[in-house]
Amino acid sequence: MSVHILGIRHHGPGSARSVRAALEELQPDAILVEGPPDADEQLALAAHAQMRPPVALLIYLPDEPQRAVYYPFAEFSPEWQAIRYGLARRIPVRFIDLPQSQQYALPRQITDADEIIHDDATPAVRRDPLRWVGEAAGYSDGELWWEHMIEQRRDGTELFRAIMELMTALREEATHASKSSETTNAREDSETTTANDASEATETHESSEATNVGEPSDVTKTREASEATEVGESSETTKLNEASIESEASEPSEVMKPRESVHDALEALREAHMRKSIRAAEREGFERIAVVCGAWHAPALERMPPASEDAALLKGLPKVKVHATWVAWTMGRLTYRSGYGAGVESPEYYQHLWSAPDNVNAQWMIRAARLLREQDLDASSASVIEAARLADALAAMRGRPVAGLPELGDAARAVFCSGDDAPMRLINEKLIVGERMGEVPEETPLLPLQQDLRREQKRLRLPPEASERVLDLDLRKANDLERSRLLHRLRLLGVGWGAPERASGKGTFREVWRLRWQPEFALAIIEANIWGNTVITAADAHARHLSAQTEELPALTALVERALLADLPEAINDIMQRLESVAALSGDIPHAMDALPPLANVMRYGNVRQTGAGVVRGVIDGLVTRICIGLPNACSSLNDEAAEAMYARLSAVHGAITLLQSAEHADAWHAVLRRLPEQKNLHGLIAGRCCRLLLDEGLTDAETTGRSMNLALSTGVEPAQASAWAEGFLRGSGLVLLHNEELWRILDAWIASLKPEAFTQLLPLLRRTFSTFTAPERRRIGEHARRATDGNSPASARSSTPGVGVATERARRVLPLAAQLLGLSYPPLTTQEARDE
Amino acid sequence: MTAVLREHAEQQFAEELQELARADKRQRPPNWKLSPWAVFLYLMGGRLDNGFTLTPKYTGQARVVEIAIATLATDRALLLLGVPGTAKTWVSEHLSAAISGDSTLVVQGTAGTSEESIRYGWNYARLLAEGPSADALVPSPVKRAMQDGKIARVEELTRIPSDVQDALITILSEKSLPIPELNSEVQARKGFNIIATANDRDRGVNELSSALKRRFNTVVLPLPETLEEEVEIVGRRVEQIGRALELPAEAPALEEIRRVVTLFRELRAGLTLDGKTKLKSPSGTLSTAEAISVINNGLALAAHFGDGRLRAQDLASSVVGAIIRDPVQDGVVWREYLETVVKERDGWKDLYRACREL
Repeated sequence: MSVHILGIRHHGPGSARSVRAALEELQPDAILVEGPPDADEQLALAAHAQMRPPVALLIYLPDEPQRAVYYPFAEFSPEWQAIRYGLARRIPVRFIDLPQSQQYALPRQITDADEIIHDDATPAVRRDPLRWVGEAAGYSDGELWWEHMIEQRRDGTELFRAIMELMTALREEATHASKSSETTNAREDSETTTANDASEATETHESSEATNVGEPSDVTKTREASEATEVGESSETTKLNEASIESEASEPSEVMKPRESVHDALEALREAHMRKSIRAAEREGFERIAVVCGAWHAPALERMPPASEDAALLKGLPKVKVHATWVAWTMGRLTYRSGYGAGVESPEYYQHLWSAPDNVNAQWMIRAARLLREQDLDASSASVIEAARLADALAAMRGRPVAGLPELGDAARAVFCSGDDAPMRLINEKLIVGERMGEVPEETPLLPLQQDLRREQKRLRLPPEASERVLDLDLRKANDLERSRLLHRLRLLGVGWGAPERASGKGTFREVWRLRWQPEFALAIIEANIWGNTVITAADAHARHLSAQTEELPALTALVERALLADLPEAINDIMQRLESVAALSGDIPHAMDALPPLANVMRYGNVRQTGAGVVRGVIDGLVTRICIGLPNACSSLNDEAAEAMYARLSAVHGAITLLQSAEHADAWHAVLRRLPEQKNLHGLIAGRCCRLLLDEGLTDAETTGRSMNLALSTGVEPAQASAWAEGFLRGSGLVLLHNEELWRILDAWIASLKPEAFTQLLPLLRRTFSTFTAPERRRIGEHARRATDGNSPASARSSTPGVGVATERARRVLPLAAQLLGLSYPPLTTQEARDE
Repeated sequence: MTAVLREHAEQQFAEELQELARADKRQRPPNWKLSPWAVFLYLMGGRLDNGFTLTPKYTGQARVVEIAIATLATDRALLLLGVPGTAKTWVSEHLSAAISGDSTLVVQGTAGTSEESIRYGWNYARLLAEGPSADALVPSPVKRAMQDGKIARVEELTRIPSDVQDALITILSEKSLPIPELNSEVQARKGFNIIATANDRDRGVNELSSALKRRFNTVVLPLPETLEEEVEIVGRRVEQIGRALELPAEAPALEEIRRVVTLFRELRAGLTLDGKTKLKSPSGTLSTAEAISVINNGLALAAHFGDGRLRAQDLASSVVGAIIRDPVQDGVVWREYLETVVKERDGWKDLYRACREL
């Protein structure tokens, strides 16, 4: 009977290769893997034909799905290889870590402490044990050292013995360091400064992501992972964790223990459980047991203390109920960047290391070249050769045995990309991080998001029904408000269960939905589970993802509205930031103008939905400033169509600014309105509108306006331009003409001065302008016109009479025929008259 | 003390090169005066085992210098790219001084650079008197470098007309220079290589043909990475130049330098230093060298027309002049920056007012 401990680095392709080789050599009859025993039942699915890594085991509390742990596996994960090896040969495979059902039941601060152990109080050895070794060997970074020494090797079990010795020594050092952490820190400082190579010393950074060798940060585990599921956001997890820590610290009863010792306690429990599981396997009579665990744990599993000690440690641990299932994972989420600290910076490169049989570097360069060629960028075979040579030369200069990713990257940048960053980003996306997405079989148990939705539906008494029904919500009622939010959130996730109808009547208090549950939604929900385990977290993460993808202002503002409706304050914050940066970069003033009114609405009326609108203010400030600066440029040289669109925007922005009731914004805006008409090449429509807006706001008096109007309608101005001005000035309401005799006179004089052909040409435009007035306005204008012609200007009255009167001479000619038809006698024409005809 | 205004790198740092060569036990590529490791040490500065200190010639990322040296060691030509004022020429001079002990084999690229300056010319008097012969040839710096196995430098490669640039292709790929008139050729000795520099802001002047581009490894020299680094560089240069011009003004306060550098960095990066607000970038390069000239300009204004102390008003006009190169687009960029960033920032009120008044 023998137990073989294989200490590995999680997600190390070299470790995976070594594990594979070691297993082939050992031919074990049982394989124990560091992982959650809660998922033992699901383990068999790993061998399923439809299972494609990267995937993750998800362990969650059914009642509190936002507390969840993900154990991701890539194809190059040693654990995955061990599991697949075992399942393929029908060897029992078991997880041996402390079950999550027990870890969750531990006092919360212990589990939380697991996340944030990397603060300055932790001694250096604990924080990053490999860095010590690496530095001793002259490397700037422990990762790199491990990479060269372990991951790039291809030999078998001998390696594991060496790792065991190394880790044993490190653990001893760590125990020592914990006892006197202050001296250790001092030592570490001196280590750094005296590192013989100055340049390397400067590169040495406090890697907060610790090594992947198991502890101190056991990287396959992340708690609160639902908050971390959003892609491309890393700050969130830590923020929330800190928040939860703070809230606990404020409770007087729970005095915080030093995190480190809390962490130690958890580690002791976990290792005790692993040993217990090994003993159990031994008792069952397995002959050759292979144990795959993080290298850090290896010594603890090798030297077995008496079974009773472990039993005492583990005795009486409370338990909670947990569920386990598989979820699809992505390469991107295996990286640091994604907020979930799986801790692999370059998964696709690792995948390449794993799958490329030999000549790893040359093959990588070839892949890079092919990728660039697909994008129509030059990358000849000669360049591949040169790049590979440069990578080797760099490795030699840097004193590395083989060129690693940094050398490959530098060489690719210098040779393929001409030092340009853009193609390098492409290489990074596709060949270093990767876009691969995993798949899980259909038999995988129900996902937490599905369960959460069911719970919500029950709570809000909103059962899914296949038949259509109309739901009328009064948002002042708490239950209805929640229903509305749920529907909006689902819509954000692409589940169109409810379609909003245009609400009429009570305005923003009322919302009408048309509900219909379709079977496809189940699929959409499974897909959406990638964003989070509850409807709210998933919607939140997805909204943020969408905002990161969106480049256009109007789309972003639309998203803000959706997020507001769905009540996702966190996401709104993000979208607002995004909005701000997009607005700053966009030279597109029309877009900014389109974005402003909805935001102003949000700010003014957002409170109806009890959503905080404070975040919006900063964005609005920026937008108004930018609009005010950019408007004059945006208004120059517009054609009729563009001017029409700009007219609508100008009016909308004016409305928004009035709505905002901020003196500062109003001042800036009015200054622009005043300046704008003076601009050359300005379309008449815009100029007229500016004058009108200023007049309506009482910012200019009638006299000034009269002068502007006179100027715009004077004879020197093109008639088309002048009529556009008149339209811009008058459209919407003509009351101003009734109240101001001077303006009336100017307009009248202008029309009278038009030449006949110009008049015919402009008549439709004028008619269009006047048709926007309300009927009573038109009538009063007509009356005013008649009064003006009757009384004030007799000359024009006379000239208009023939038009109004009847052409008696011509009418008379019809009379005889009419009389004849009617059988009447008509006074005969005198001969004199007949001759005249 | 020599009478020359400026010494070549290999003269100025002769002692350092000598000490390095003595301490350098590593393998040297053929015809190199130093090993790649020693070249690196010479550029980045450091301390030898015998306690001799080397001054840093280039303050920037070590990575960049490593790639440059590794490129030269693989006998590929090196193209240093960067906006003006990023020490391209400086690095190329020191690289050739350290590798070949000679930084004088230079071709200055201009629109008028002809093929003769890259290949060879003729001494026409001799040509007429004696007919074509090797003696009648006037070698170019590149030809001499090939014969001696040294590094030749080509400054401002993209300013050279494209057809002349392409004269380099044979030299770089076949390492030989044919002389059809004499029915002979010059074959480069080991150690020969070319360092070219080019300005990537106006890369479009005479874009390299892809055949030529392929023969270069490109290294982009970045602008100073941190604010502190740049403030330090600007401060030092301003002081040196101020002394040379004998301006009767006080040395500018660090605060003013920091303000100008901050402003330049923010507009250049299109992002405020706190990373919170995005900005549009103007069309100018806003290099460190320009920041230096802005401060000097302000200093001159303060000295001759002000009270001798650098104030916001003195800076404002030259800052605006440096930023607004295109009156329409840059004007918008600058006004936005002024209204959204400068206005709100603590302690920048005077600058805001001074700039508004212009």
